[in-house]
Amino acid sequence: MSVYKHEYRAYTGPLTPLWARVGVIVRYAFAEAWSTRITATLFTLSVAPVIVYLVGIYLANNQLARTLIMRGSPMLTIDAGYFLKVLETQSWLALVLAAWIAPRLVSFDLADNALPILLSHPISRFGYVLGKLLALFACLSLVTWIPCLLLFAFQGYSSAQPWVMANLRIAGGVLASSLLWIAFLSILGLALSSWVKWRVVATGIIFAVVFVPAGIGGIITGILRTKWGFLLNAPVMMTQLWQRILGAPPTMQGDLYLPSTAIVTVLLLVCAACVLMLNARIRAREVVRG
Amino acid sequence: MNVIELDGLQVQLGGRVVLDGLTGELRGKAVGLLGPNGAGKSTLINTLLGFHMPTRGSAKVFGRDTRSERALIRQSVGYMPENDSFIGNMTGVRFVRYMAELAGLPAAEALERAHEALFYVGLGEVRYRKISTYSLGMKQLIKLAQALAHGPRLLILDEPTNGLDPMARQRMIQTLQEIRKEGSIHLLISSHLLRDIDQTCDEVLILKDGRVAALCNIEEERRSHRNFIELEAVGPTEKFCETLRGIGCECASFAGGRIKLVMPDRIESRDLYVVASQTGLQIRRIHRRRDSLEDIFMRAMEAEPARGELVRL
Amino acid sequence: MNPMNDRILFENVSKFYGEVLGVNRVSLSIAPGVSTIVGPNGSGKTTLMNLMTGLVQPSSGRVSVLGLTPADADRFFRQVGYCTQFDSFPRRLTGMDFLMDALLLHGMSESEAFRLAREAMERVRLSDDAAGRRIEGYSKGMRQKIRLAQAIAHHPHVLVLDEPLNGLDPMARAESLALFQELSRQGMHLIISSHILDEVDRISDRVILITGGYIVAEGDIHQVRREVRDKPLQVLIRCDQPERLASRMFTDNHCVEARLHPDGRGVFLRTGDIDEFYRLLNAIAVEGLVQIEAVAPADDDTRAIYQYLIGSDGSPS
Repeated sequence: MSVYKHEYRAYTGPLTPLWARVGVIVRYAFAEAWSTRITATLFTLSVAPVIVYLVGIYLANNQLARTLIMRGSPMLTIDAGYFLKVLETQSWLALVLAAWIAPRLVSFDLADNALPILLSHPISRFGYVLGKLLALFACLSLVTWIPCLLLFAFQGYSSAQPWVMANLRIAGGVLASSLLWIAFLSILGLALSSWVKWRVVATGIIFAVVFVPAGIGGIITGILRTKWGFLLNAPVMMTQLWQRILGAPPTMQGDLYLPSTAIVTVLLLVCAACVLMLNARIRAREVVRG
Repeated sequence: MNVIELDGLQVQLGGRVVLDGLTGELRGKAVGLLGPNGAGKSTLINTLLGFHMPTRGSAKVFGRDTRSERALIRQSVGYMPENDSFIGNMTGVRFVRYMAELAGLPAAEALERAHEALFYVGLGEVRYRKISTYSLGMKQLIKLAQALAHGPRLLILDEPTNGLDPMARQRMIQTLQEIRKEGSIHLLISSHLLRDIDQTCDEVLILKDGRVAALCNIEEERRSHRNFIELEAVGPTEKFCETLRGIGCECASFAGGRIKLVMPDRIESRDLYVVASQTGLQIRRIHRRRDSLEDIFMRAMEAEPARGELVRL
Repeated sequence: MNPMNDRILFENVSKFYGEVLGVNRVSLSIAPGVSTIVGPNGSGKTTLMNLMTGLVQPSSGRVSVLGLTPADADRFFRQVGYCTQFDSFPRRLTGMDFLMDALLLHGMSESEAFRLAREAMERVRLSDDAAGRRIEGYSKGMRQKIRLAQAIAHHPHVLVLDEPLNGLDPMARAESLALFQELSRQGMHLIISSHILDEVDRISDRVILITGGYIVAEGDIHQVRREVRDKPLQVLIRCDQPERLASRMFTDNHCVEARLHPDGRGVFLRTGDIDEFYRLLNAIAVEGLVQIEAVAPADDDTRAIYQYLIGSDGSPS
């Protein structure tokens, strides 16, 4: 028999490479996002419309089913316009999901001042933000381009005529549009969450930042009679941008056409502002001037 | 190898020069960092951790420059900040595990070391509760546990006994002494409580106005200044003092039966007792004053620190 | 003036927050001077202080400070100054504003308030330019000082300080302790709560030990020590032949226990009779039996009392 004394001992084992530390942040952020039932519920609700669209595709390709159910309603074509609707629905649901998840990723770290300890480990501020971004990006991908591409694949499978090759642009368009949108949402969500102390307020602000300028833009458009007011209107801007990427026919009057460069510039400006916000708030130490 | 090497280190924050020309080599097993508020202690710690960039000069930890090898330094450093710093939503284990993984431990090892560290600092079942429910003492311990979990070579502690009641403070000091004895970790402790530093550190760096006011080894300082003696006695202290002066000691008496004297080498304690029995005095306490940290600190505060020079007392 | 009017009186006071115990059946009569409250976190110290400063009413019993109760709000709050341990301030306030606001609440004129605010800042050694800066930008030590300044500015007769040295560097600690001693010499009541027991020993006239909501001891520390009878007094003697000293002490029968110091150059002796013990020790030293290097009572201080009465788990032992 021996007596075992447990004292401190040094660590002599292997270390993971430096770049893999970002992966640690991603893993823990992801776990945090999914640790609550509300996330699962929101996710389920976000995927529900996909089922509806799935049924639509099935009906569009199945003569018999269509006659039975729709009794001669107008033909349902699965084209860029259809996928645009899918994209729109999923993207706005992604906004809801982002507004819920993004505060969870950041606020817990900021609430009790965990950043000095976090950043005293071999992870830079950039690495930390990147990790959170990737986690959020992954969550949002699950409701945007992944289901959209699955619908595309289903359409390609169930279509009687060869359809995929001719409509590859739709697939590419859906992918690009989604990536663009969720990248934007991720940065916006994280930046706003880092700026505000309480999660509920952060969620509200994320919604507000998307919709309130829309209202203001509408006022500007109405009063000044200029189409540039719509540059504040995210729904309108994104719809126009997605239409162009997907090659779908425009749904708004010609004179409200916003040039793509203008839209992209606005998005980039907002991203730049978000980066500045993150730079100010994600710090190990605050410097109080004066 | 030097634990910390400073070479003309200058750090500016918000336009103000906070650290000005710090130069010195810290080699001790446990280094105490002292100084009045605003002297730059936190800034120095933040610079070593890579949170601030030096505007001039350099700082090296284990030979690695804080400007270029930040990640490697942070790898081998454990930090216990002064203020509350944790993720309230997580359990104790998860938090320490998270930090250990960030420091580079593979997931399985991280979990093992997390539990080891929690056991070592004395957090038992409490580790499964959310940190937001912890008491102040537990929060201090969880900060220490996460700093130890990845086996750092340097442990930086900012006011480790802050807010702890006397028993918890004693336990913390004991833990730090044990860590120091174990041998693989160097300590850098910043504190306002001289007694804490005295009990745990062997080298002391005193800052004032962003400059080095003193850098010295406490043990060596103590070995000099042998013959100052303080007595507490009951009886005729004045008469006792007079008689002592008669045999060659410098002596002064104070209220409450306290007597301070300087004994020349040829006189020993027995002579004190002989004089005491002659004058009818009862000696109740004999205290040989070694140069205490308090004196070192006070002297450092009075001296004007020279810029860029290493001042040794 | 009624002679009892210089005391802080607690008459069988209990305070409960719903079911949670704050303090239970506390009776105290605190004279002027420095009284230190010592106890583990959560033991009821802050509750005691809140009762003293009138921020909280007792669930049962009566509290009176210098003969006044919070019912007589105007006079009561004028007499009491409170420096809390909590570190939060209204946003965007400068140091001077903070002090002025507190003083104006007492009904003074602005010029009078200004004068007192300046005086308070000088007393705590806060520089003039700090007065004009926002408290948000203060270092921890400066925030402690401004809180202290606010407590003393209106010249109260009772000063209640909750961990007033927290965050102060060694020099500021020494200055603050000197300030407290001076204030107590002027006849004020100072009630200080602290965890740093050796500082407590240096300045207190009396100690109040509290744990789990109960007062376990109160009075001058030496007096309290004498009353802890189940633990005889312990003295550390450093000398060249500790075993010889110990055996001699045992022979002459004034020693209950002897324990060698781990480094072999000293011995801890426990004795029930202090006077006899020292008389004997002095005689042994004169004989030259051993060379005595140092004599130190090992447990005649707050730390030892704390250990005996409160113990390492915070519960009364």
